[in-house]
Amino acid sequence: MCKSSNTMNKKEEKTLTPKKSVWIRAVTANSEWPDKEEFLDVIYWARQAIGILLGIIWGLLPLKGFLGLVLFAVINAGAVYLYSSNFQNVDEDEFGGAWELTKEGFMTSFAGFLVTWIIIYSGLYYEIDRVAS
Amino acid sequence: MWADTLLIVFISICTALLGEGLTWLMVYRTEKYQKLKAEVEKQSKKLEKRKETHGDSLDKQHKKKIEREEERLKNNNRDLSFVKMKSMFAIGFAFTALLSMFNSIFDGRVVARLPFLPLTWIQGLSHRNLPGEDYYDCSFIFLYILCTMSIRQNIQKLLGFAPSRAASKQGNSLFGPTPGQFK
Repeated sequence: MCKSSNTMNKKEEKTLTPKKSVWIRAVTANSEWPDKEEFLDVIYWARQAIGILLGIIWGLLPLKGFLGLVLFAVINAGAVYLYSSNFQNVDEDEFGGAWELTKEGFMTSFAGFLVTWIIIYSGLYYEIDRVAS
Repeated sequence: MWADTLLIVFISICTALLGEGLTWLMVYRTEKYQKLKAEVEKQSKKLEKRKETHGDSLDKQHKKKIEREEERLKNNNRDLSFVKMKSMFAIGFAFTALLSMFNSIFDGRVVARLPFLPLTWIQGLSHRNLPGEDYYDCSFIFLYILCTMSIRQNIQKLLGFAPSRAASKQGNSLFGPTPGQFK
């Protein structure tokens, strides 16, 4: 009886151990992603966070003009590419190619970035900028 | 300046929640929608898997099967779009009225200062109803659209109302592809 319950426990452990939380797998290198949707969700939300963070930094600096937009696009796409191909080492083809990963949540993140950039820049530098122009 | 911009963010959060709430009341909670959505998702995943395994094979039988499934998926997607359409029109009308109200409140008011010069074809939107030629000035409508673009989609994903990636990849929806569902 005892032996059988022991083997049962071992079996349970075996099935439970590979299923780590998404948060842990997202910050651990070379994690397993059996569910593609989960990995794409991680990319999506990471993108949103990067967008808002860059918007705050660009607004505080302040970074202005076309350069700010280009830098955002480069950093955003570059970070996701490095994260998926160098940190997680996923096979891009499984997700429909590098392009699919690059565009996942890009527009939403871009909109979030613009909103935070504009709000912080306007709040801090509106008067100075208007007088200067 | 802070007051206006934060108020616009607040307005777009409220309208996004209101929109999703109304759609939930009229569409998402109905049994017909839930059944159709589950069906479309199941079929999309099945089709994707089938395409992956038999994608390159020239077997006529497989090709026919795939085509038949695609046709079925198309029909289901069309039904799903029709279920959504009625409420979409109602919400569309309500939101147009709301938007014109906000437009008149913020009429001629510079709500923000853009840190970049918008492209010429966007200037019509970013400088709508604003006095002067300073195109760095931002109108209500431009900031509202940007807020809605980011907030609405994220709220949809958080609440799990967005269609799954498999379904939107297969496309065919009347309302175009939308990003996947957050689990």
